[in-house]
Amino acid sequence: MTQRTRNLLLLAPAGAWFLLMLIVPLSVVFIFSFGERGPAGGYVPALTLEQYANLPARWAAFRNTMILAPTGTLAALLIAYPLAYFLAVKVSAKWKMTLLVLVIVPFWTSILIRSYAWIFLLGGRGIPALLDWIGIEGVRLINTPFSVLVGIVYGYLPLMVFPIFVSLDRLDKRLLEASSDLGARPWRTFLQVTLPLSIPGIATGCMLVFILLMGEYLIPALLGGGKVFFVGNALVDLFLQSRNWAFGSAVAVTLVVVMLITVTIYMRFISRVGGTRDDVALM
Amino acid sequence: MRVYATLVYLFLYIPIGVIALFSFNAGRHASQLQGFSIKWYGKALNNPFVMDALETSLIVALVSATFASVFGAMAAVALHGIKGPVRTIFDGLIYVAVMIPGIVIGIATLIGLVTLFDQLNPMIAAIWPGGFEPPKLQMGMLSLIAAHTMFLMALCIIIVRARLSGMDRSLTEASADLYATPMATFRQVTLPLIFPAIVAGFLLSFTFSFDDFIIAFFVAGSETTLPIYVFSSIRRGVTPEINAIGTMVLGVSLVLLVTAQILLRRGEKKSR
Amino acid sequence: MTKQPDHISKKQFMEELQRYRKGSVTRRHFLNVTGLGAASAVLGAAVPGLRPRPAFAAGEIGDRVVLATWPNYHDPENFDAFTEATGAHVQVNVFGSNEEMLAKLQAGATGWDVFVPTNYTITTYVGEDLIEPLDTALLPNYDPNAYDPRFAEAGSVDGKLYAVPKDWGTTGFVVNTDHTGGKTLDSWKGFFDITRDTFSGRTMVHDYQLTTIGNALKYFDYSFNSVDPAELADAEKLLIECKPHLFAISSDYQPSMRNGDAWMSMAWTGDGKQLNADIPAIIYVLGKEGGEIWSDYYAVPKGAPHRAAAYALINFLLDPKVNAKEVLAHGYPSADAHTNALLPESLLNDPILYPAQELLSPLEFGAAVTLTDPNRAELMARFKSA
Repeated sequence: MTQRTRNLLLLAPAGAWFLLMLIVPLSVVFIFSFGERGPAGGYVPALTLEQYANLPARWAAFRNTMILAPTGTLAALLIAYPLAYFLAVKVSAKWKMTLLVLVIVPFWTSILIRSYAWIFLLGGRGIPALLDWIGIEGVRLINTPFSVLVGIVYGYLPLMVFPIFVSLDRLDKRLLEASSDLGARPWRTFLQVTLPLSIPGIATGCMLVFILLMGEYLIPALLGGGKVFFVGNALVDLFLQSRNWAFGSAVAVTLVVVMLITVTIYMRFISRVGGTRDDVALM
Repeated sequence: MRVYATLVYLFLYIPIGVIALFSFNAGRHASQLQGFSIKWYGKALNNPFVMDALETSLIVALVSATFASVFGAMAAVALHGIKGPVRTIFDGLIYVAVMIPGIVIGIATLIGLVTLFDQLNPMIAAIWPGGFEPPKLQMGMLSLIAAHTMFLMALCIIIVRARLSGMDRSLTEASADLYATPMATFRQVTLPLIFPAIVAGFLLSFTFSFDDFIIAFFVAGSETTLPIYVFSSIRRGVTPEINAIGTMVLGVSLVLLVTAQILLRRGEKKSR
Repeated sequence: MTKQPDHISKKQFMEELQRYRKGSVTRRHFLNVTGLGAASAVLGAAVPGLRPRPAFAAGEIGDRVVLATWPNYHDPENFDAFTEATGAHVQVNVFGSNEEMLAKLQAGATGWDVFVPTNYTITTYVGEDLIEPLDTALLPNYDPNAYDPRFAEAGSVDGKLYAVPKDWGTTGFVVNTDHTGGKTLDSWKGFFDITRDTFSGRTMVHDYQLTTIGNALKYFDYSFNSVDPAELADAEKLLIECKPHLFAISSDYQPSMRNGDAWMSMAWTGDGKQLNADIPAIIYVLGKEGGEIWSDYYAVPKGAPHRAAAYALINFLLDPKVNAKEVLAHGYPSADAHTNALLPESLLNDPILYPAQELLSPLEFGAAVTLTDPNRAELMARFKSA
């Protein structure tokens, strides 16, 4: 067996899977986006740009998403990085795995149940009651963009911690020692050695979180009280309430295009910051 | 640093604590503590729908994570060794697969498969031998596993490739120079190197799949996964039964984790 | 169901029902006047076991049946009993809105055998060819004469029976009287006005176009079911004005009402009953302008994979003894006289389950057009994303 045949055989299951479960469904969505809504909902074949012309009706949803997804990603990064650094660099090998797994254990309970806990914590009897008690009155947290942000950070923290941890853990500790031996201050070592080397991890983490946030539905639905509306919420409504498959497909196609553009720009940017493209863990 | 980490762990575990606390609520509702009781655990364990949903979720997560990590690792190893159009196509597919939001995967899979099944079902019925009822393709556990596997596989490919790209190429070259067969090189050099990445991919996939709501919401057909069950229940008020389920799932995870750690430690000591 | 000339009118029926409930007439009188006692055998039918019921041997109808229904809407013990009697396990899928059920059915291949549509959706299901006419021969427990026609007639389309009644209820609102300062809220006008005043940040509306738009329309005394563009524009303006003052747009209002975050919310009978039972300060109110009255049904979708089991399950749930247990579990009133004959007096007199006549009269049943009207759907979407 030649190496080429072997490689193709190794690729076959993945290739078949992508064809049936990715290319075919996406093509159907693309075709449907030029169709029309049936009288009782659903889809009627047509060739019209009407659905795309109607997109401004979902402008608020796109705007919210484009503001809250990057904000949430950044917030998650700022909280996750020090933790990942701590786990990778400061913790002894004995505890490393345990502590790392402890980061994902909470995520073995449903995100729904965890968000429900936040509904309580951010609700009137949770943190606001505590603030009330220490004299800060009238704080309302639940069903605001802030509560959605808390839910986002909570929900996606491990996705950020993991890749950063992996990139920092791979980092040769002797580099850090060498840097400090050469008299570099800890901050300088961090900025000039650690941070650049962890960029692939940061890039992957941000990417994962950003992508998930762009299609987020549950967290705004549960912690935003239906008042903080993402594109994901608009999509669910279109398919499960108004059953407008054609318009829903057009919104979905637009979301994918917006993401393709955003992410591609982002990758260009990262590859410039992080050096050669090969360094970026994605692609 | 230590203080900071402690704070983050608190942030992670306080909501979990709240869930556990309320699971012992004697009252019917999740937001009012009315005394201590373990009755909700009994209720959850005796509720066949909860158990069915849990079983469905476990099967879907296990099968999807296995497919995704195995096929993903295979593809990653192959892609590491090739260049040219095949690689470009796969790069593009992986890129699109991880980039598409879950909600779009859910919607696309639903309308894509429904459209496909509408075409295929009459054909199957036509060629099916008489006397037997022809099978009818429909949304269900298999379509859910297929959808989960698709995007988790892309994730696993990325994780394994990240590990491979960090791998010192001279290792495999050295191995080849020493006249090791490609298979031996793979078994003795590549596999041990990428194994942690495969495990990480499996764990991440399992977590993703087990926790996924949005894809299952669209694709699961008549099946109910645990998140779908929970979602439907909280729409008209959660009972502490849901908290009990969450606490139990977490408890089992922790027990497995601690057991694994103890076994690993023991194994290490013995091998010394 | 076609109108029978010897039937008393809906209104009369309700009045008689009220009088009977208030105890001002005897049960015999009630049954005679309403025609429910047309044959004393009907009365006897309320006693379980007298009516013919096919006994299914285990395995005869397959080993499972899939039911799509609403959360907290059944007594799980009844399903166990069904499994014991027939060998078929009941798999329950729960849903949050009629739109969602329709969306799933339109997408095809749900695997459902029985589902629970609300009155106003049935003509759409028939029009879309999504449900099958029921074979009453397979439903011996179904006695069309036992039902208050008001809550049974939507089950028939063009003289064909497609769905049999499950129970009924109203859509009003719950309000925590601890915060009203002694003010009485009894209307949708009051609901939306106080939302923009002292209840700012404390009110919830449903994430469900029918009730949220419908009740906003009632503010202006328009029909709950209006699809008139000018009237809908008024409702939209009101809703968008209220939006900054809302605590949430969600049909999951019990937790927020219970923990005190929300003081008022649109609500359905059963939730109102449950909240009031636990927290007496929370009362269930029907807007005096009107609003929704509804009834839910059992139906069988086309292509149900376990059709025999579907009929067996519906028939089982229609058994008055079984249905009475259902009512005690979910707290929504039943339209079946046989079932009601088995329920405790206190429940049959409960003002939340059975509101006074003057509150019931202005209520409207949802209209089929609201389910499919694209403007109402878009209005709701604009309101939510505003």
